[in-house]
Amino acid sequence: MISDTLLPLVAAFPFEWTYVRSIIEVSLYVSLTAVFLSTIVSVPIALLVGFRDFRGKNFLTSIITTGMGFPSVVVGLVVLFAVSNEGPLGSFDLVFTTEAMILSQIVLAVPVITGVSLAAVSSVEQQVRDAAFAMGGTRYDVALVTIKEARYGLATAVLAGFGRAISEVGGVLIVGGNIAGADGESVTRTLTTAIQLEARQGRFETAMILGAILVALVLLVNAIVVRLGDDGGGYR
Amino acid sequence: MSLDVPPGEIVAIIGPSGVGKTTLLRLLAMFERPLGGSLEYGGTDVWDASEQRRLEYRRDIGMVFQEASLFDANVRRNAEYGLHIRRSWRDRLRREFADLLGLRNGTSPAMEALEVVGLEEKLEQHAESLSGGEAQRVAFARALAYEPDFLLLDEPTSDLDPRNTAVIEEAVREAGDRGIGVAIATHDMNQAERIADRVAVILGDGIIEVGETETIFEDPSDQRTQKFIDGELIY
Repeated sequence: MISDTLLPLVAAFPFEWTYVRSIIEVSLYVSLTAVFLSTIVSVPIALLVGFRDFRGKNFLTSIITTGMGFPSVVVGLVVLFAVSNEGPLGSFDLVFTTEAMILSQIVLAVPVITGVSLAAVSSVEQQVRDAAFAMGGTRYDVALVTIKEARYGLATAVLAGFGRAISEVGGVLIVGGNIAGADGESVTRTLTTAIQLEARQGRFETAMILGAILVALVLLVNAIVVRLGDDGGGYR
Repeated sequence: MSLDVPPGEIVAIIGPSGVGKTTLLRLLAMFERPLGGSLEYGGTDVWDASEQRRLEYRRDIGMVFQEASLFDANVRRNAEYGLHIRRSWRDRLRREFADLLGLRNGTSPAMEALEVVGLEEKLEQHAESLSGGEAQRVAFARALAYEPDFLLLDEPTSDLDPRNTAVIEEAVREAGDRGIGVAIATHDMNQAERIADRVAVILGDGIIEVGETETIFEDPSDQRTQKFIDGELIY
């Protein structure tokens, strides 16, 4: 039944494959880079906030929680200002580039990855951390044990960040400009902005197929991350 | 309070629940800095020493808690953890690769420690699949594997059945025979009588009496000790 519906759509697919491939490449490049950099920032913050007591901890936690639901359009607007000629990053000439899009997605993904990671590391029992310390573990050893124990939660955090990044449209549309080059390949056009463009122009079938590709990519990345998180249960 | 644990001696710390036995052991394990007084190791105040030196002191100590608190890994990896963190980062990575390729074999101190608690057959079993008693025996082997000078045991058998308790007690005796100084907190008088060379009695105002096990149980010098042993001292 599904094949009866989808096959004619695929057969009538109006784009060049190189164009679609370039959109997928830009989408994955922007979102995976943003999530990778966000994870490097977010996990240490989660460990720090989860383990240490310091002044302003509750305030920082509430900022992280608020950031998890921050509107992507507003983030795009702020990043656009930051990279514009009048902004602090104006000298880097980043307007309508993939780098600006990465920056926008980092701002969106960091609170999500930090928030979910914080919940994951906080759920690791104090006794387990105590055991690592009692055996002569340094603070890095204890942190590694915690990361290892919280690996499923951390994998969920990365997936949530990736989902937030690759599915958002407002931010990348504003800072990236949804540009395709004269050669027909994407410059800053992602799957979400392409879907938005196709739908607006009334090409719903094309938008649907791009949507299906987007969902398939998310499922694929989810499967890979879940597989990596389930490594047989050894400490590292 | 003052308590010394010479090499090879088993000292039981007895006292009612909530009196500070766990706090005392955690102070000895350097989890927390004491609010008053000092903790000396080889004549040096550990909290005046550098972090690196304190780490060296800590690595002479093994500790077993009331709950096993095993890592989410198999028995072998749990037992090897203390050895693992004492290796250089390069050596750790090298062994991880050897593990991945299945190139590791032969005996190790961790396996010998597992033999002491009778779990050498369960090397590859995941910690979650162990019974409570087996998990605690792995926790004991984990602390024994890196051959510490001292063992701090915080009511390690309070949740165990008689068989697992007997295994742990035998392992404690063997640790003493190997020259490891053992401090075991327990509220089980019979256990203290069975395994300890000396007993320290701790009540609300600190350690009130330390002496040979037989003396403490048959002829204590402090009346409160006698009342506690007789079950008349309620906290």
